[in-house]
Amino acid sequence: MSGIFFNSKSNQKMKRLIYLAIVCFIVPWNSFSQEISLKGKELFGDIKARHIGPALMSGRINDIEMHPTNTRVMYIGAAGGGVWKSSDGGATFTPIFDDYVQSIGVVKLDPKNPDEVIWVGTGETWTRNSVSIGNGLFKSTDGGSSWTEIPGFENSERIASIAINSNNTNEVYVGVLGALWSDSEDRGVYKTTDGGKNWKKVFYLNPSTGAGDVIMDPENPNVLYASMWQFRRTGWSFNSGGESSGLYKSTDGGATWNKIKNGLPEGKLGRIAVAMAPSDHQILYAVIETGEKDTNGLWKSEDGGNSWKHLNNDFGLTVRPFYFSRITIDPKNPDIIVKAGLSGSISRDGGKTFKGLGNMHSDIHDIAFHINNSDALFCATDGGLYRSWNGGTTMEIVENLPLSQFYQISVDNEEPYNVYGGLQDNGSWWGPSSAPGGVQARDWNSVGAGDGFRVLKHPTKNIIYSEMQGAENVWRYDVDRRRTKTVQPLEEAGKPKLRFNWNAPMAVSNHQPDRFYMGSQFVHRSDDMGDTWTIISPDLTTNDPAKQNQADSGGLSMDNSGAENHTTIFTIAESPLDENILWVGTDDGNVQVTTDGGKTWNNVTSNLVGVPANTWVYHIEASVHGKGTAYAVFDGHTSGDFNTYALKTTDYGKTWTNIISEDIKANAFARNIQEDYENENLLFLGTEFGLYVTVDGGKNWSKFTNNMPSVAVHFIDLQKQTNDLVMGTHGRGVIIIDDISPLRQLNQEVLNEDVHFFSTEPYTMVEQSGFSGSFGSETQFVGANKPTSARIIYYLKKRHTFGKMEMEIQDMDGNKITSLSPGKSKGINVVDWNFTSKAPKLAEAKTISFAGFTPVRVPAGKYKVVLTKGRNTYETTLELQYDDSSLATLEERKEQERMTREMFNMVEDLAYMVYELGENQKAAQNVMENHPKGKKVAQNFYDALETLRKDLVVTTGDNYVASAEPELRERMGELYANIASSYDRVSGAQKQNYQLISEEFTAAKKRYQEIVDKEGKKFHKFLEKNEMQKPKLQSKEDYLEKE
Amino acid sequence: MKTLRLFTTTILLLVFGAFANAQTADEILANYFENTGGIENWKSIEGMKMTGDAGFGPQSFPFVQIMMTDGRMRTEVDLQGQKFIPQAYDGEKMWGMNFQTMAAEEVDSETATNYKNNEANDFPDPFLNYKEKGYQVEYMGEETVEGVETYKLKLTKNKLISDGVEEDNFAVYYFDKENFVPILSENTMPVGPQKGMKVQTVYSDYQEAGDIFYPYSITTKFNGQAGQSIKIESIEINPSVEEVNFSMPTKE
Repeated sequence: MSGIFFNSKSNQKMKRLIYLAIVCFIVPWNSFSQEISLKGKELFGDIKARHIGPALMSGRINDIEMHPTNTRVMYIGAAGGGVWKSSDGGATFTPIFDDYVQSIGVVKLDPKNPDEVIWVGTGETWTRNSVSIGNGLFKSTDGGSSWTEIPGFENSERIASIAINSNNTNEVYVGVLGALWSDSEDRGVYKTTDGGKNWKKVFYLNPSTGAGDVIMDPENPNVLYASMWQFRRTGWSFNSGGESSGLYKSTDGGATWNKIKNGLPEGKLGRIAVAMAPSDHQILYAVIETGEKDTNGLWKSEDGGNSWKHLNNDFGLTVRPFYFSRITIDPKNPDIIVKAGLSGSISRDGGKTFKGLGNMHSDIHDIAFHINNSDALFCATDGGLYRSWNGGTTMEIVENLPLSQFYQISVDNEEPYNVYGGLQDNGSWWGPSSAPGGVQARDWNSVGAGDGFRVLKHPTKNIIYSEMQGAENVWRYDVDRRRTKTVQPLEEAGKPKLRFNWNAPMAVSNHQPDRFYMGSQFVHRSDDMGDTWTIISPDLTTNDPAKQNQADSGGLSMDNSGAENHTTIFTIAESPLDENILWVGTDDGNVQVTTDGGKTWNNVTSNLVGVPANTWVYHIEASVHGKGTAYAVFDGHTSGDFNTYALKTTDYGKTWTNIISEDIKANAFARNIQEDYENENLLFLGTEFGLYVTVDGGKNWSKFTNNMPSVAVHFIDLQKQTNDLVMGTHGRGVIIIDDISPLRQLNQEVLNEDVHFFSTEPYTMVEQSGFSGSFGSETQFVGANKPTSARIIYYLKKRHTFGKMEMEIQDMDGNKITSLSPGKSKGINVVDWNFTSKAPKLAEAKTISFAGFTPVRVPAGKYKVVLTKGRNTYETTLELQYDDSSLATLEERKEQERMTREMFNMVEDLAYMVYELGENQKAAQNVMENHPKGKKVAQNFYDALETLRKDLVVTTGDNYVASAEPELRERMGELYANIASSYDRVSGAQKQNYQLISEEFTAAKKRYQEIVDKEGKKFHKFLEKNEMQKPKLQSKEDYLEKE
Repeated sequence: MKTLRLFTTTILLLVFGAFANAQTADEILANYFENTGGIENWKSIEGMKMTGDAGFGPQSFPFVQIMMTDGRMRTEVDLQGQKFIPQAYDGEKMWGMNFQTMAAEEVDSETATNYKNNEANDFPDPFLNYKEKGYQVEYMGEETVEGVETYKLKLTKNKLISDGVEEDNFAVYYFDKENFVPILSENTMPVGPQKGMKVQTVYSDYQEAGDIFYPYSITTKFNGQAGQSIKIESIEINPSVEEVNFSMPTKE
């Protein structure tokens, strides 16, 4: 606001009065507000997250929705990565739901207003062990730009289907599958008749049975079918099926529902998919899980569900019904049907026979046909979205959906550092945090198969450890020699069978580089990188046999994939301060610690506060701030408990303190915590609904939302050299917040300053140049790079809205180097400076020279940052240093800087000479046109100058193929640009060229002087004689200053 | 006087801020125009000549832009002493220069139609007389952006044509609750290869321009990354303009 005073031209007296009034008013008001809350999104200001994918393997997609009339538009709902819209027929997608929960069950467009009205039911519905949870029902009335949460569905957890009456789109049915991990009454079929304002639960069976597919006969919207499913998952088992499951029909708009029995199997049923042929509403297909060979699989009715016949029980139709339960029918041909499955199956004879879809990532969850061309179809898989143009035989992947679902990530200490991590059904990978042209698909390297989990770099050797589910394989990969060895602990004589979690814990030692830990029910330690193992603990779990019956898991369809293995160690943390201190957390709720390298273990579980017994210990972070200090994060979601739990101990687990506040959104259960290495009060919490940050040790938490979706954050690491916070998300790949160090400095004192510059370490002027070859990036995801510029970071107490606010970089003597565009937000602002001053001013010519876009890089040293805000100025300094990896010696660098400056001056000298020449030509032209007596003298002068000008600058042609031969300006500019932008020493060839151009320029200046002395003298004499004014020239300084 | 009005409003807000909850879109807009010079001063504007720098990352280019209430417009950028005109509109024809040849070329009819139906009506402010332009404004509630509490208004403009198909066209504006000026607007790129990309425009450095207050700093971000930064050096209200300024030059 203060800027107003300084810029207003209004009456000064009046302004003073108003000023006094405000000051008097504000001062006492301020005195009550000294304590500024250490939370809110303004704390983070301009600090933004960046996404690096990867997208090459994408991630699980739950649902596809095609626009009913516009072939360009389609949507996908990702299992953990939100809602994405394509406006180009599926070539590329953009996210449209980032502010909300990213686990999506169903996306549905209003049939009458498909451009405006979109419904999103959240909570993925293919209920594997690692699914995320939803958070209700949402509606957009502006094509996805903004969303409204529909009250009443907060506890729906998973919404599977939405059916809309196309005659009256205010009439909507929602099929709520509901809670996976517990009983819930928020299930069944819900109906609104007023577009979502009021809802009635029109069909409900019991707390363990939810609604899957709810479909409507578009010709008779009172006819509805609903597939009901009784199901339950625990941390150690899954059960699909029960007496309540079945296919139900209503013929009165949902008022009453009857189980369809006519020929369909009875008794215990599992998951059921049902679909109606768009071209013939009497034809229905249902895939029913019965567990019996004779009745399992595909059924068909050709009379609107009155009678049914069993058609097929092929593997492709019956495999894992909880994971694959979708039938899609060709919009034009009721005999062409596609069934989701391990590979996906297509029938062209009405379901009698099937063949597999073409090669693509396995685990197909949804299929959608193009609305006009049934040769074109889309498949949603565990590995992204695929397109086919030939009826499903050849599949191609959509390359810009970074939906990768990380379980874990880690980082190394390379420059730029690499990120390692394992993905749901997509193996293990490592890739750079920055790469030329951005982080692209080609930058990622595979380092494991199957489901990937923990991937760790050996601390000193170029070796990577990775694993697949249940530690079936743990790989030690020698990167340089490209050799893989399996090194997992194996069963030993006289020892119990090992129980590894699906996501088995691994850890490398901070103290002994070759030391490697793994956890089964025991802690295993190897001091030779996994070749030999020693068990250094007793069974640290509860060893509850009731939770060890995975062979019976699955319900009607047996499903013993290892995903439900339980009573296992889940997290191992070695103290960074003492190699003998190890913390262990188990999936059945135990926290155990040893301080003597595993000789004795202390079970500290009973000391925990506020955490229900047997709650999964998801992560333990051993602190750098004290040997006895650790953080433990507990996740109860697999027992239906979505509370957020994180505790801190400073005495080896004897006592614990809750560090969670009410700021954290309900149901945002946590999986991971990361402490800052310098400020003990700065903590980062990865939750089901995004990232939370505290700067006061957990008293207040703030959600970080700057380019950070509400995605499940499964693992966080803090890269030590860069202070970058690196997150492994389960649905949006790797997300990085560059340099969180300003958050370390936030305190009351800082927040009470009008402007506060955060101190920064000296910046290295990174010397990188090369080629990025961005082929394919038109349709491929490209991850953003870490800025290599200097960052000027400051806090503004108030948003700057009125009056001027400017920022300059100056040398330490106060000479301006460059202007920057400062951020004006309340909170933290970040301004990048790329270490350059201005580009030279070029002589006017017919064409553009690259030299005019090549600024001078500044030398290493200290620089002032001057922020002017109204009348006030605020200053800080920053320090720049040369890159240690420079190709040039310091002496050579100084020579390059000197020559750059010389060439810069030469380019501007030429510019001024051409300007002067041009002004003289204008004067001569004036005489030629208006004073016949002087025409000859003027013409001679003009012609001589023009001949010279044509040798100095290009005067014809264009910037492309009609370009003229380069003249002195262009050749001089090119040499300047080459020297100025080079990171190497000035080459011999450049020095020779410099010599030539200097001589040419000297000759040109001589020619110019000769013209001035000869033709110019005569011309000026004529002017004097006729009392005409000589051309008025700007001074060189003024000319160069003028932008 | 406008300064006085602004400060009076500020004081009133400080005192009565707690009661100033219910706001309609038109009340917010009325306050905005009142605080930035008064609606009559806004309505008296026929044209504006802005001189400033347009920055794209480390590069910046001096420009002069002339905009008229009848839609005529011309932007001129100084490129190494050459006048480059990226866009201009003479009331009939929209055109711009080809960078390779530096020659004027007419823009495609869809882009021109979209301009005529929308941006040509938007000067000096899209909210001024918005109903007459066929626009709609909707109050969307409150939100904290740029660290401050704001009122959120959705401005629905006339439909755009994108590759032959009509599309909705709207943006959300955030008005600072303290002084009612817009500090941010958001939309998604409606046409072109970047269609769907989130565009944010940040307004600050409001200063006097004739009898109104106008943002002298306008920064555009694409998907959260800074794209273009406009710094206005001077504004001339109702400049005298020659018709020829706007017309497309004939090819040499």
